[in-house]
Amino acid sequence: MKLSVNHLKNYVDINIPVKELADKLTMTGLEVEEIKDAPKAFFTAQGGAGVADDTIFDVKVTPNRGDWLSLIGVAREVAPICGTEVKIPAAEVKGPGAPTSDSVKITVTDSDLCKRYVGVAVRNVKIGPSPDWMKDVLVAAGMRPINNIVDITNYVMLELGQPLHAFDMDLIDGKEVIVRVAKDGEKIKTLDGEDRELTSQNLVIADSHKPVAVAGVMGGFDSEIGDNVKNVLIESANFDAVSVRRTSKRLGLSTEASFRYERGVDVNIAGLAAARAAELMAEYAGGEVACEAIDVYPNKVEPIVINARVARINGMLGTDFGGEEMAKYLESLDIKTTVKGDMLECVIPTFRVDIVKEIDLVEEVGRMFGYDNLEPTLPASSSGGKDTAAGVLRDKIRRILVSSALQEVLTHSLVSSKIAELTDMTDTMLKIKNPMNEDLDVMRSSIMPNLMGIAARNQALGINDVFVFETGKVYWDKPDKGIGENLSAAGLMLGNMWNNGWGINTSAADADFFMCKGLTENLFADLGIKNVKYIAAKAPAYHPTRCAAIYVGDVKLGVVGEVAPDTCRFFDVSGRPCAFELDFDAIRSVTPEIIRHSELSRYPGSYRHIAVVAEEKYKVGEILAAINAVNEELVESVKFIDIYRGVPIESGKKSVTFAFVFRSLKGTLKDEEVNAALENIKAELVKRFDCTFRG
Amino acid sequence: MNEFEDIKALEEEAKKLIESAKESSELDAIDTKFLGRKGELTLQLRKIGSLEPEKRKDFGAAVNAAKNMLAGQLADFKRRFAEKEKELRLKKETLDVTVPGRFYVPGTPHVLMETFDDIKKIFIGLGYEIFDSPEVEEYKYNFAALNYPEEHPAIDEQMSFYIDKEHLLRTHTTAYQHRVMLGRKPPMKVCTTGKCYRVDAVDATHGHTFHQVDCFAIDKGITFSDLKGTLLHFAKSMLGQHVETRFRPDFFPFVEPGAEVAVTCTICGGKGCNVCKGSGWLELGGAGMIHPNILRGAGIDPEVYSGFAFGFGIERIHMLLHNVNDLRMFMDNDLRFLRQR
Repeated sequence: MKLSVNHLKNYVDINIPVKELADKLTMTGLEVEEIKDAPKAFFTAQGGAGVADDTIFDVKVTPNRGDWLSLIGVAREVAPICGTEVKIPAAEVKGPGAPTSDSVKITVTDSDLCKRYVGVAVRNVKIGPSPDWMKDVLVAAGMRPINNIVDITNYVMLELGQPLHAFDMDLIDGKEVIVRVAKDGEKIKTLDGEDRELTSQNLVIADSHKPVAVAGVMGGFDSEIGDNVKNVLIESANFDAVSVRRTSKRLGLSTEASFRYERGVDVNIAGLAAARAAELMAEYAGGEVACEAIDVYPNKVEPIVINARVARINGMLGTDFGGEEMAKYLESLDIKTTVKGDMLECVIPTFRVDIVKEIDLVEEVGRMFGYDNLEPTLPASSSGGKDTAAGVLRDKIRRILVSSALQEVLTHSLVSSKIAELTDMTDTMLKIKNPMNEDLDVMRSSIMPNLMGIAARNQALGINDVFVFETGKVYWDKPDKGIGENLSAAGLMLGNMWNNGWGINTSAADADFFMCKGLTENLFADLGIKNVKYIAAKAPAYHPTRCAAIYVGDVKLGVVGEVAPDTCRFFDVSGRPCAFELDFDAIRSVTPEIIRHSELSRYPGSYRHIAVVAEEKYKVGEILAAINAVNEELVESVKFIDIYRGVPIESGKKSVTFAFVFRSLKGTLKDEEVNAALENIKAELVKRFDCTFRG
Repeated sequence: MNEFEDIKALEEEAKKLIESAKESSELDAIDTKFLGRKGELTLQLRKIGSLEPEKRKDFGAAVNAAKNMLAGQLADFKRRFAEKEKELRLKKETLDVTVPGRFYVPGTPHVLMETFDDIKKIFIGLGYEIFDSPEVEEYKYNFAALNYPEEHPAIDEQMSFYIDKEHLLRTHTTAYQHRVMLGRKPPMKVCTTGKCYRVDAVDATHGHTFHQVDCFAIDKGITFSDLKGTLLHFAKSMLGQHVETRFRPDFFPFVEPGAEVAVTCTICGGKGCNVCKGSGWLELGGAGMIHPNILRGAGIDPEVYSGFAFGFGIERIHMLLHNVNDLRMFMDNDLRFLRQR
């Protein structure tokens, strides 16, 4: 809310510099977001034409403090800072005109939705511009001056926080004002010229046969104050906050009035506000004020009394105040406080709709003492801190991947459904009901596509070598399992990781399927996960014949593969990116809690190669698995060396070379022992693969 | 010339050759020529048989003395030559050490994840337990359980992405509070971090996605002063020992009293600059004492226990630390930015 500091001085004496006042208001919770010189062009009344010496405060009113949306509300915070008194304007409805009830009858059908309705007739007004000083106040607050009648309603709203509406009384059919809920489908043209359809959820002000205003939100077009208005009915009412909010939301219409009603308006200010507006209309529009208002206020709201414990307030703040000191702070906010032993009896003025419980008074004492004056301490208790198991695993995986030369990235979870289509996740993707736009309409089902996006963006920047990974959530909405989310780890390798290694960066070192697979193998080894199997598989967005599913037993850990050419085209990525994506829950289920180390042999090893010549149909993995399955005790390790095809190997066959290390814990191995073990393995391979051996 | 003079002459000849040698291969040749199995000095010993018996002993000794002397000299020269040749070889191997080095491009943690790591470490050190909470959250946990009145303008500040009648994308990490409280009994100290979402157009200081950290502590006798001390410790550990905190009243439905926490402007050190709009302070986040309604709602007696809670944006902290002015940098993943250290 914007306000003129000069105008504020009408309601409270300010005896400190403007900047200091702004700082102190901020420190008591009413944040002065901006301090600006007044727009000079408008300030004619305050210091002569075009000259003004005024400051505009833009204050940030928190949603709980509707009372701050007025000059007297701000003045009530200034008063304790300056040690001065709040000056509230006085006014009365005292004639000389006929009683309001001579011209109109007011009926409120629902006193919950409209706690109070004050109507005052002001007759024989002369419409015209309002005085310059009033225009200045409105302009300073960011409002547009219209005419004296409308400006006065806005001026009093700024002053007292009570939204007012002025009707052309002669346009009220049947001389009757009824506050009622709208009929479903009932229509009204509002002041802004829009036709609006209402429902029984909306409260309206109606005459004998049609709505003339949407209660607390906006007046009707047809009863607007026009240039020929003669008789005015001032409405000063208190509408229910939730009802106004619902109506305002449904109509997509937020006004100065609805904004205040939503945040709470003092029900007991309505009478003064109506009288104040009537007086000003008499003075500045020549109107004849009725001698009596109509005040429909069946259940008068009295200030609530809260009993607060001195010990409780001290206990929450960590202070040691006496009751008297607390009372002093509360009294400075117009909260009448009586100290009764170790209790405070507090009478909460009705404008403080935010104070309903003892705890609310804790804040008032704290903020009047000053939060900054409270001593910083640490909680007395001690406890052991810890991360989650998933968090520990995540950090470990992040560490391994970073040390594997992948750059960690962080991408959005809100993505386009087009990407979900690409990864064939359309059946299970989690959709946003109210997306900002079509490119952000689902939650990601997979991280890999986001990494492709990064590859594309960086290639566009001229960075062609992209080695990245992310650990983060993926989300789903599965017909069987419902909504869920889980951590996932994905990586992408594209180009040459030696791109700053001159003389090394040959294309032979480009990332490929096997580099990507090797990285995952290292990751599993580092986590202590054993017996990992890579099985040729098809996965959406991956190359159909260069992709493997990763398993430990029946548990699928994820996939690794070259990215499909179609996917590359979709993202406009050139080159042959390879990627992997792993499921955290699956990894956790196969990760040993403790990795045990084993004793090493002190004796020299024996080294042997074998070249297995077998038909193409036998996969390297099968041969390796068969070697391992022999479980020859003397074999320390078997390593795949290479595959050879061509002369002298007959076509349809390949030669696969493995390197063995034989070693024993018991002693140096003799040639005969090693040869026997190797022959044993060879025999098994012949049996399984009908192979021969080369060299 | 007698046989002793022959030895002398050979010895002189060898000495001359050694002294005039240019490289170690010449020394090898000299070695072979005089001291080898068929070397000239070695062959002298064959003469022993033809000498008078009384001379034999002296002659043998003279030959061996000459051999030893030569061998010593040869070894000495060989050492010197080897040294020189090594020097020569090393000189030939000279590298231009100013040529840039080569290694693979290393990976680094993402800057925001690093900030997460640091924050987590500080709170684990203070005895907080990390809690992982869903991002796709139930409406009630995001608002109602946090003391947001139904239909309250406070909800407008957190425009949400909706999934269905019950679910939305959490608008703040604070949504985890009720979940945690329901599952355990005080005392508790808990911390969570992660993505949050609000309907907000993307610009340098706003985005639909941002990251938060949220902590709370519940125990007997927890005070607002404890909240201040905890955040002061955090601010100093995270941003530097010179940093101070400032607390001023603010409103959040889930805390009472509520506060906004600011820290000494990291750009100007509190003197006042453009970034802090001259105030010397930069806003960090929201804090306060957990509202008794929330404790009661979770079955914790607010007459026995009290607690504080606070939360703030990770991007904000990183921006304070590293002078990044555009939020979008964090998730654009321009590798040039991510590799900046």
